[in-house]
Amino acid sequence: MKAKTGTPVAGPATAAAGEAPLVRRPEKRAGWLEWLAVHFVFLIVCAFFLVPFLWLLSAAFDAKATAYIQWPVAPTLMNFAHLFTDYDFGRVLFNSLFVAIATMILVVFAVALAGYSLSRLDFRRKDWITYGVLLLQTMPISATMVPIYGLARQLGLRNSYLGLVLISAAIELPFLVWLMKGFFDSIPRHLEEAAWLDGRTRLRALFEIVLPLAGPGLGIAAGLSFLSAWAEVLLVIILIDTQDLTTVPLAFYQAMRTQGGYTEVQYGVIAAMAVLYILPVMVVFFGARRFMVRGLMNSTRGL
Amino acid sequence: MQFDNVWKLFAAQAESAAAVRGLSLDITDRELLVILGPSGCGKTTALRMVAGLEEPDRGDIRIGGKSVVGLEPKDRDVALVFQSYALYPHLSAQENIRYPLKVRGLSRAEQDRKVARVADMLGIGRLLPRRPGQLSGGEQQRVALARAIVREPRVFLMDEPLSNLDAKLRVHTRTELKTLQRELGTTMVFVTHDQAEAMSLANRIAVLNAGELQQIGTPDEVYDHPANVFVAEFIGSPPMNLLKATRDGGDLVVAGGWRLPAPKRGSAIDSAGTELTVGLRPEGVQIVAGGQPAEVVAVEPFGSEVIIDVRVNGEAIKVRAAPDVRPEPGRKVGLRVDPAAVRVFDNSSGDALN
Repeated sequence: MKAKTGTPVAGPATAAAGEAPLVRRPEKRAGWLEWLAVHFVFLIVCAFFLVPFLWLLSAAFDAKATAYIQWPVAPTLMNFAHLFTDYDFGRVLFNSLFVAIATMILVVFAVALAGYSLSRLDFRRKDWITYGVLLLQTMPISATMVPIYGLARQLGLRNSYLGLVLISAAIELPFLVWLMKGFFDSIPRHLEEAAWLDGRTRLRALFEIVLPLAGPGLGIAAGLSFLSAWAEVLLVIILIDTQDLTTVPLAFYQAMRTQGGYTEVQYGVIAAMAVLYILPVMVVFFGARRFMVRGLMNSTRGL
Repeated sequence: MQFDNVWKLFAAQAESAAAVRGLSLDITDRELLVILGPSGCGKTTALRMVAGLEEPDRGDIRIGGKSVVGLEPKDRDVALVFQSYALYPHLSAQENIRYPLKVRGLSRAEQDRKVARVADMLGIGRLLPRRPGQLSGGEQQRVALARAIVREPRVFLMDEPLSNLDAKLRVHTRTELKTLQRELGTTMVFVTHDQAEAMSLANRIAVLNAGELQQIGTPDEVYDHPANVFVAEFIGSPPMNLLKATRDGGDLVVAGGWRLPAPKRGSAIDSAGTELTVGLRPEGVQIVAGGQPAEVVAVEPFGSEVIIDVRVNGEAIKVRAAPDVRPEPGRKVGLRVDPAAVRVFDNSSGDALN
């Protein structure tokens, strides 16, 4: 109790020269029961989320995989080999990666300029446009499925990378434009004004001063647009019906369907597909996370 | 550099509430002009119009005889030091200072030479590799100053650059800045709300209130002969004592019966009616034996001087006295006024009459 009250305890340090007494805060020590309870809950939550992945990993490397989690009965890499020989998965992966990366680049470019404009420029009906963008975000894409199909068909955008990229990007844009507007709002105008006075044009100041500081926002926009284009199912179903342009989510669907009725379901192959599907997501997540943290630490200090 | 009847209205502002109203200033070459005024008086807007960050709605701004209205900020060749310093946070101090030179397309060797010289001048050599986030407020301020100086602009614009520094550093930097400006010989327009800063820095002070120029003059002129009641109250710490007065023949009667000698007759005072306002600087009043009776209310010692609050028939007056004058509160003392220190203002317009 002595330490807790903070009264100086007569010791060599305090008695010495009338220094400020060293008040030691008692270490907060949770009871072992509390420790156990907390970790038990953690464990359950983790198990809940990790079990499907456990199945994926075990099934992907098992030639005789079933719908149940089991230690690989016949360990093999053949599931992955089958993917590329029988399912043309190389092509499928390329399609998905290409569409996701192209969408990401287009989105980052568009949100950088649109977010900046909404944050900094004065133009007529700016409020209407700003809130209109937000309104677009509230529209569920499934509601616009039919018009998207019709429009894409008339414009010749079906069964093309261009159509997929343009429409995926359009769906991503409203939210990310708002996100970027927020990032630009948080960057002091003085920085830009200083660059103008130092002799830069508005556009160059944007690229040299503002965009580097908006890096974390652009990183988030890039990550989110990549991931959602990568995971897009509905649009692909609406827009694509040639095998050449199939993306990974659609390949899944096909794998289940073609195998389902006639032969036994190839769980191993499906699991292998899923493992390869998750991999880029992991890479993007960890890559973007590090970038975002670093960016945030650099840009918010000294503003 | 001149302001010629410059007006600036922000959106939704009535003409009577314009940010800057008919401002005309003639700033001499190599001068250090301080624009002084309370917050919201339009001083920063005036500065930003010189920089090209705002455009005047009416009137003209000329630098070196040529109008700069409509020119992009980049084409005006003026340097602005912001209150927030506005250092680029993602660049090191060195890159910050180098930036305007890089924009200008100077050779790398020339850039290095100029950055090194300015860093040496301001004693910030060891800060160069650091980023703004790793610098203290005072250090950031120096880097911002270096970035302005390295450009060798036609005009320096300073938007309260010292207000984010602690008191001691502020006074120190103030002196340094004044010396620096004299050595560089570049015209400087310095905006502040701190009257002490204005007095210590300025060659001339332009006092602004509610978007209008109140007075322009040397620190001594502005202090000794304020053009109106606003300037009288704004400049000086403590400010000028302002007392309601009635004219009675050759005398001015204040505070219920204290008769002061009116300064030279036959001037505007005579035609201004009998109701006037008298201004007395705290050092224009002395505590003497005899004289006008007054009661001491409080004594504020400041080391080098003492401010004594007295009451004359209920009217509060501040008196500046030598540090050894320490009357007890409640004591009766006598007051005397130096006739040359009496300022008289018109009651309705607030303008000075002598």
